[in-house]
Amino acid sequence: MKPRPATGRRILNLLVNVVASLAASSGIIVLLWITIILAYKGIPALNLDFFLNLPTPPMIPGGGLANAILGTLLLTVLATVFAVPIGLLAGICLGEFGQQSKLADLCRFAANVLTGMPSIIVGIFVYGLLVLTMGNFSGLAGAVALAIIMLPVVARTTEDMLRLVPDPLRESALAMGAPRWKVTLLIVFRAARSGIITGVLLGVARVSGETAPLLFTALNSPYMMSSLLQPMPNLTVTIFNYAMSPYEDWQRLAWGASLLITAGVLVLNILARFIFGERKS
Amino acid sequence: MTAIRPQTKNAEPSLIKSAEIAEVIGKQQPHTEAKILTRHLNFFYGEHQALFDNNLEIATNRVTAIIGPSGCGKSTHIRVYNRIFELYGDQRATGEVFLDGQNILTPETDLLELRRRVGMIFQKPTPFPMSIYENIAFGLKLHYRLSKSEIADRVEDALRKAAIWEEVKDVLHKPGTALSGGQQQRLCIARAIVVAPEVLLMDEPCSAIDPIATNKIEELIHELKSSYTIAIVTHNMQQAARVSDYTAFFFEGKIIEFGTTKQIFTNPTNKQTEEYITGRFG
Repeated sequence: MKPRPATGRRILNLLVNVVASLAASSGIIVLLWITIILAYKGIPALNLDFFLNLPTPPMIPGGGLANAILGTLLLTVLATVFAVPIGLLAGICLGEFGQQSKLADLCRFAANVLTGMPSIIVGIFVYGLLVLTMGNFSGLAGAVALAIIMLPVVARTTEDMLRLVPDPLRESALAMGAPRWKVTLLIVFRAARSGIITGVLLGVARVSGETAPLLFTALNSPYMMSSLLQPMPNLTVTIFNYAMSPYEDWQRLAWGASLLITAGVLVLNILARFIFGERKS
Repeated sequence: MTAIRPQTKNAEPSLIKSAEIAEVIGKQQPHTEAKILTRHLNFFYGEHQALFDNNLEIATNRVTAIIGPSGCGKSTHIRVYNRIFELYGDQRATGEVFLDGQNILTPETDLLELRRRVGMIFQKPTPFPMSIYENIAFGLKLHYRLSKSEIADRVEDALRKAAIWEEVKDVLHKPGTALSGGQQQRLCIARAIVVAPEVLLMDEPCSAIDPIATNKIEELIHELKSSYTIAIVTHNMQQAARVSDYTAFFFEGKIIEFGTTKQIFTNPTNKQTEEYITGRFG
């Protein structure tokens, strides 16, 4: 009995390898492409005026996006402040106490659906909930919309990270005579800490680039914000408006803003990977 | 079978006979009082019954080994002694387990105090995600109000008793997870004894560590038994023979034979025990 020649197998192996590698690199290629174009078009826009000045009407030089930069920062921080405590507690409930309960199953399902919910729907929901009832667009409404998008991300990541903590660790802490809440806060949470921080950072990265929910809530404003109850300037809606305008200097600002946001998200992601990687070592 | 007198008013009439024997034996061996006395213990994982009518005495300041093939209920049995199984909603125990005469399976039992009195060492070492020092101080802070210097003294004392002080005294602020497996297990023993428990439950404490580390832990068990009552689950029959005074042989959730280790290993009365000990099954 003669074994089959290996040539056919080798060729097939090579073919599959090439196709798989191409598929894998397509993601990297797209990311590189976007980054390079953003850098090429965006870097010229990033000067001192961009960071320090308020927007100017079209054709008037010296305009910047100081208000939008601050606004986006503020919106993101506020959303984080709203979403993280609730998300963490929900995650604890799901991961530590709700393995068998109906409420937890329901909550987990709701979180999954909410994660996949188109963000514009969340925007319209908050529009009805806060903007209509309070009478005007506001930064507060924007932050709430972002928080709603962030909430399921934080809750589910927290749950997943808590579940990764092996049961013997819980048992050994309980066996020391620690009450359950101390076991959760002092031992399990600490063991899952880097994973949870990663989840929060990814949640922040996710919402800092959102535009649609802000269109219906924070809106935008060419002025420096004075109150959370007024429309809040922000980068993403500014990009949306400026990129569609016919004015070259506004388009240039939009490129700069795009680069800034992308860089911010990239930094958050790298930071998240770094923190998560630290745990493994 | 070594009969041991229960120190309880709740003891059942059926125990009178063993209590009488205990009085006789008690005069010769004043140490052998039952620290833990188990009566008619049944255990269920959901619908599945894992322990059937277990009756056992764990003698004060002695080492009791629990042996038997995999899945026979050894670990399940000792996990009732500190009610750690209650972490999982679908597990339950019926029957009585007396610790110094108090039935610990009643709802009135203070679980935190029970677990301070009955410490546990697990199969895999489980250092907490904190420094070596904090690992030990954790239990102290849970159960006692102490000044910083008192805590430091007791941490050192526990680490010395667990025979690991010399190895860690210069790295107390490094994470507990940075130690080797054998060191981690001794760290866990130090962590368990620092709160001054009366009983130590060891659930295959050497199965995840190398022979040299195992040797150290066995020496440690020898030293610890003067101050603590120890129940050790082990797969390793040589280990049971080396470290224990009494041995219980479990099979399919039932206690087949219980006696002094010498008797169990040299002259077992039950055929299954003999077959297991001589390595014919299990």
